[in-house]
Amino acid sequence: MNAEARSLIFLLACAGLVPAVVVLILHLPKFGAHALPYGDLINNSAPRERHVANAVSAVNFDYRAIDTLGEEFLLLGAVTGTVVLLRSKRGERADAPAGQVEGRPLRPRSDAVSGVTRLLAPVTALFGVNVALHGMTTPGGGFQGGVIIASAMVMVFLGEGYRSWRKSAPSVAFDATEGAGAALYALCGCASLLVGLPFLTNLLPLGTLRDVFSGGLMLIENAGVTLAVAGGFTVLFGEFLEETRVDCRSDDS
Amino acid sequence: MALLLLLAAAAGAAVVLTRSPPRQVFAMAANGLILAVLFEILQAPDVALAEIVIGAVALPLMFLVILASSRMDRAPRRPDTER
Repeated sequence: MNAEARSLIFLLACAGLVPAVVVLILHLPKFGAHALPYGDLINNSAPRERHVANAVSAVNFDYRAIDTLGEEFLLLGAVTGTVVLLRSKRGERADAPAGQVEGRPLRPRSDAVSGVTRLLAPVTALFGVNVALHGMTTPGGGFQGGVIIASAMVMVFLGEGYRSWRKSAPSVAFDATEGAGAALYALCGCASLLVGLPFLTNLLPLGTLRDVFSGGLMLIENAGVTLAVAGGFTVLFGEFLEETRVDCRSDDS
Repeated sequence: MALLLLLAAAAGAAVVLTRSPPRQVFAMAANGLILAVLFEILQAPDVALAEIVIGAVALPLMFLVILASSRMDRAPRRPDTER
């Protein structure tokens, strides 16, 4: 297809779509004036029934906890699939040097980068833990905290290079973290089955509203999600970063 | 608010119009950050936190790694295709 035919089709599509989009934008409901009752209902009942200030967490870990369980295992399955696909081609050796693009010099890491990341990585990890711990009272929670912790691990790679990163973040540890987190969440659900209540019933004392330790079972589920997400994303980042190593698969087989 | 919407549109256009893949990755990260600020202003701080990390760290990292990995050209070369 030549360029003129392509731009003709593009202009035709624009002529059809742009008026439709404009009409749609003009008919959007005003911000905050949504028609559905669910959000208001949760906002009213979550602090009263679950003693939790962050309604989003109440939905994720209590009212719709079974959905989060599904997402948890979706993440586990996705990470496992990636790891299996990449490692089956590459092998599990971790001693290959950094790869190099042909004709591009491999410069040593500058002190400024090292210094900044050494300062920022622990602070970022701590911030991630803070966001995860306060999931019941302020915006955030297990998923957000977990990905922030995982991005702190990427900073360690950025500042210290491959070898020290591999030493400080052994893949086995994070594999275990991810699996343990997902298992913890599933076991939280099974606990209520033992006493004859429906799956994922919130058994534990709910605590006081706006306290860090409010929400009962939600806290443990939150911890499980934090572990699973932090471990899962670190493993995922690690597997992708391994792909920039020099190829050593011929030595493996 | 209107300014942010315009910025988001401009950043989105920049992602599409940038031709070199490495620069496109950074344009995409900038777009992600602008979207995160927009989420925050629209009172969705949970989504904003996730968007900052996913849009500005995870996605660019994966694209950069893929670009680096594909540039390294690790397929075993036969003598007749040697450049």
